[in-house]
Amino acid sequence: MTPKLAGPVVRSWRALPRPARIVLARVALIPPQLFGVLLVTFVLVRLLPGDPALLLLGNMATPEAVASLRQKLGLDQGVAVQFVRYLGRILHGDLGTSIFTSHPVVQDLIERAPATLELITYAMILTIVIGVGLAILAVIGRGGVADHLTRLYGMAAGALPDFWVGLLMIYFLFHIAGWAPAPFGRIDTYLTPPPTITGFYTLDSLLTGNWSDFTSSAGRLVLPVATITIVNAGGVMKMTQTAFAGIYDSPFIRHARACGLPQCRIVAMSLKNSLPPIITTAGFLFGFLLGAAVLVETIFAWGGLGQYAVQAVINSDYPALQGFVMLAAVFVLLVYLVVDVLYELVDPRIRI
Amino acid sequence: MTATLEVERLGVSFGPSGAPRQVLHDVSFRLEHNEILGIVGETGAGKSVLAHALVGLLPGDGRVTDGVVRFEGRALADMSQRERQRLRGGTISLIGTNAKALLDPVARVGTQIARVLRTHRPCPARQAWRQAVELLGQVGIVDPAARARAYPHELSGGMAQRVVIAMALITRPGIILADDATLGLDATVQVQVLDLLVQRSRMLGVSVILITHDLGIVAHYCDRVAIMRAGRIEELRPVQGFLGRPDTPYSESLLAAARARPVPAEQRHAGKADKLLVVENLLKLFQVGGTQPPVRAVDDVSFSLERGETLALVGESGSGKTTIGQCLLRLLAPTGGSVRFDGQEIAGLSEAHFRPLRRRMQMVFQEPYVALNPRWSVLDLVSEPLALLGHHSRSQRLQRVEELLEMVQLSRDLARCYPHELTAGEQKRIGIARALATEPDFVVFDEPTTALDIRVRAQIIDLIRSLQSRMGLSALFITHDLNSVRSLAHNVVVLNRGRIVERGETEAIFASPQQRYTRTLLAAELPIEWSASRRAGAATVANPVSEHSA
Amino acid sequence: MTFRFWLRRPAATLGAALLLLQVIAIVFAGMLAPYSPTMADPLHSLEPPSWQHPLGTDVSGMDVLSRIIFATRINLLVSITAVAAAFLIGVPVGLLIGFYRTIASTLVMRLFDFIQSFPVFVLGMALVSVLGQEIWNVALVLAILFVPVFARLVRAEVLSLRERPFISAARCSGAGDISVMFRHILPNAMTPALVQLSISIGMAILLTAGLSFIGAGVRMPTPEWGLMVSSGAQQLILGVWWVSLFPGIAIVLAVLCFALLGDQLRIFLDPTKRAPGKAR
Repeated sequence: MTPKLAGPVVRSWRALPRPARIVLARVALIPPQLFGVLLVTFVLVRLLPGDPALLLLGNMATPEAVASLRQKLGLDQGVAVQFVRYLGRILHGDLGTSIFTSHPVVQDLIERAPATLELITYAMILTIVIGVGLAILAVIGRGGVADHLTRLYGMAAGALPDFWVGLLMIYFLFHIAGWAPAPFGRIDTYLTPPPTITGFYTLDSLLTGNWSDFTSSAGRLVLPVATITIVNAGGVMKMTQTAFAGIYDSPFIRHARACGLPQCRIVAMSLKNSLPPIITTAGFLFGFLLGAAVLVETIFAWGGLGQYAVQAVINSDYPALQGFVMLAAVFVLLVYLVVDVLYELVDPRIRI
Repeated sequence: MTATLEVERLGVSFGPSGAPRQVLHDVSFRLEHNEILGIVGETGAGKSVLAHALVGLLPGDGRVTDGVVRFEGRALADMSQRERQRLRGGTISLIGTNAKALLDPVARVGTQIARVLRTHRPCPARQAWRQAVELLGQVGIVDPAARARAYPHELSGGMAQRVVIAMALITRPGIILADDATLGLDATVQVQVLDLLVQRSRMLGVSVILITHDLGIVAHYCDRVAIMRAGRIEELRPVQGFLGRPDTPYSESLLAAARARPVPAEQRHAGKADKLLVVENLLKLFQVGGTQPPVRAVDDVSFSLERGETLALVGESGSGKTTIGQCLLRLLAPTGGSVRFDGQEIAGLSEAHFRPLRRRMQMVFQEPYVALNPRWSVLDLVSEPLALLGHHSRSQRLQRVEELLEMVQLSRDLARCYPHELTAGEQKRIGIARALATEPDFVVFDEPTTALDIRVRAQIIDLIRSLQSRMGLSALFITHDLNSVRSLAHNVVVLNRGRIVERGETEAIFASPQQRYTRTLLAAELPIEWSASRRAGAATVANPVSEHSA
Repeated sequence: MTFRFWLRRPAATLGAALLLLQVIAIVFAGMLAPYSPTMADPLHSLEPPSWQHPLGTDVSGMDVLSRIIFATRINLLVSITAVAAAFLIGVPVGLLIGFYRTIASTLVMRLFDFIQSFPVFVLGMALVSVLGQEIWNVALVLAILFVPVFARLVRAEVLSLRERPFISAARCSGAGDISVMFRHILPNAMTPALVQLSISIGMAILLTAGLSFIGAGVRMPTPEWGLMVSSGAQQLILGVWWVSLFPGIAIVLAVLCFALLGDQLRIFLDPTKRAPGKAR
């Protein structure tokens, strides 16, 4: 990790506290990765057969608009120039204009991001808690009922298509039982959404003390969050189970038991030692849920980034699609950054 | 007065209740106050199961089927879960093998010791930490206040073992159960750790059960010894009497195997001094990356080997002895220096040019199981080097494999087996058969006797001796087991941290070592013959020794 | 393979039975399906399950059962082809970049890191949309997405295997690069990739169906499970449950089948659990 640096630099690097070194070393990797993301999104649109300018503007574009965009993109010049111009536009926050909504893509994305983030944040917290909890139960009660049930669930959860589970939930819990609120968006249509503070309706309504907004938005979250959790907690459980069981059977845990440490201490020790793989799984999951959100948002008319992406695909809205892919990649990049930093923080064995 | 620990007709079984596999039969013994009892047995004798049964932590589906275990007169079976938990670590402390694996990798060692103390004797965290630091000092750790803040991966094996001992002692238990506690440590460190353990236990009046497969340890440290075999105690007697005249033939065979081979290595045929291998100024550096200077694993080493000679490279772990062997066979590329084999310079040779020489230079690898491809049968494994000779038909190959198996005293039926179906001793023999398949002129034996039971070790030494005399092998014998050096090598080179410390004829080195390091190495050996004199020494205070961290 | 052999292994039995069922559906679709999978019949739109239509009809009156049977072809063949292609490319690439540690290996690895840093579904959706929404493009995209999975698994195994003493021992016995790579390393490195093969087919089935569900895969009236679920989604809250429910069950069973087989494969491929030769 440490490049060959001159003596004084090395010394001042060593003098930094370990957490600072971990964060700095990771942040230094961001620019090249970001460059890679931009390159891929650039190439993605270049894969399109036909005139990119025409495709980016859609069929209704006037010849003047096409010509002007051609010049802006530098299509009459080499690929390198086009890429440089592309980078320049992105640095100025210009991701083009959506063909479908006719708004700047950046604006569209910013408007919709909080909806998706709220959904996947809650889903992720619940998934991790349930997945890790079940894994611990299964390992501690090995050979018992919990173990068999979780094994069955782990196998079944991996085979469930999330879009189908979502539909079943709507059918049974909304249509038949009538317990769940309607699958139409984040909040009841007759309510005014709370003013944007964090962008999360649940938090914003609490912050502004708007109780009816809070119950409505929390109610609307139940089915989509449950859908994502049911489908993904199985995978998290299996991963955690493997890691946790390995630790739980390891010599140092047996030794701790021989030292008379109580069971709760032993579970806590095992869990702390299983954190690195759990953190990795959580990071991977956060990125993965962005993909899952595409399907689940469509079913629940969520109005977030996922639904926006689906509309982009259906309408061949390439600027919007390009913007979404870029945002997804940057998002994943940031999540992995946090994961790597946490991973190294919890494991004192990693040298930095 | 009741004994500290009483075990009466203990039986332990594993497996389903319909078809149980009984692992311990009818085990009875008493451990008196302030006594050190040795329990000796080979792999699979049930020593470890016994240790775990005593603390009530049998693994898997293991269960006590018969008998009673009593602590100060109170039966283990009558205790509640909570009482048992308090017993573990409070009344009886277990010290296991490979101390580094016994410590929580993500907690500071001081915290871990304090944690045990606070479980059994609730007290403020600060006070527990202070006691932990104090005890670390007493178990011979230099600068205990700073070391208590270290994580386990920052400690050497010996230091980790001291930390585990501190974890065992902190609650002032009545009994310490050391289950092969020093296995895998260098002999010099092993002696330090055992001296410390025994001396502290005697001082605090703690009874100790030393479980081991090494009769040397028993001879030096124990008051009484129990010999275990196939889940039973065969013999239980005071050590002095046992060493003088064991009761059972099994004990006799163990003792015979543990004694140094009576005959020193055979004299070579007095021919002309024909140098087969000449190593000059061999250098091997390992880059550790980043800004640190490279590690000098082999540092300017020169030696030579005559035809028919067996030379031993002796040293502790990290001395560079295995690296030298790998450089000679080009499993590693040397950084500098010259290696001449039969007059030909091979240090700078490309793999393609070296390949023909592989037929003449072979190696027997250290760990027998991992050196065999797990997906290959014995037949394939032993045939592989035959391809180097070329032009063998299938039936010729089969015949040759059978010859080789016979040479290493294995049944030809083993040819269809896979490595995991073999015992460690059989695996070692397969390794030897592979190395000898091409009838090489020169063989490197890398630690051929480590990690084997005493009797198996003795058998392998006898096998190598017979091969030496039959085939006139020239061999490089890499080991830290001085006992086997005496039986196998004509000359010895002693290494420490990549450099040669001393060299000479085997008998001369053993009789009068010139260098301090060599004397330390020899003093760390625990042959059963020298027990009486050392036993007196064990009672004296062991000095705190500083070690380099890993 | 007696009856008791299968009875003792319920997971293997279920997996094998499901696989057999699917193979039958693929081969004999024309004979098994009571109706044409693509012929609309507006007079019998949205009929609930009955003797005429065991699983009901969808909004354009097409028989759900017939469509599910025919869809097995598309869903399974696309998934298996894509994953098989990814396996055949990924395994040798992983072997090479694990064995030879050159700059090229590092670059290839960085490329894989990069592909995998995108959420699978997002990248799949974008690629299919850009390449054209056609069934074989879906297969192509899935193959691209899965190559890094196999290459990475094999590489990780190779990296640990090449440092193992038995490789040094093979070198001493005269084995060259080719022999070490293909006779010693590859057979030992294959287990995770083979197990993953089965898991990946399951994932590919889910991805194919998901892509079609949002409209980024095949189009109506092609029989495809995800598309069928999607075609019933609109009527679900009107109480029409059969159009979405049954194709979903088909997906679950297909994925479950490969997950079960993968588990069995893992047990079967462990050399220490098979015991030819002498038993101890």
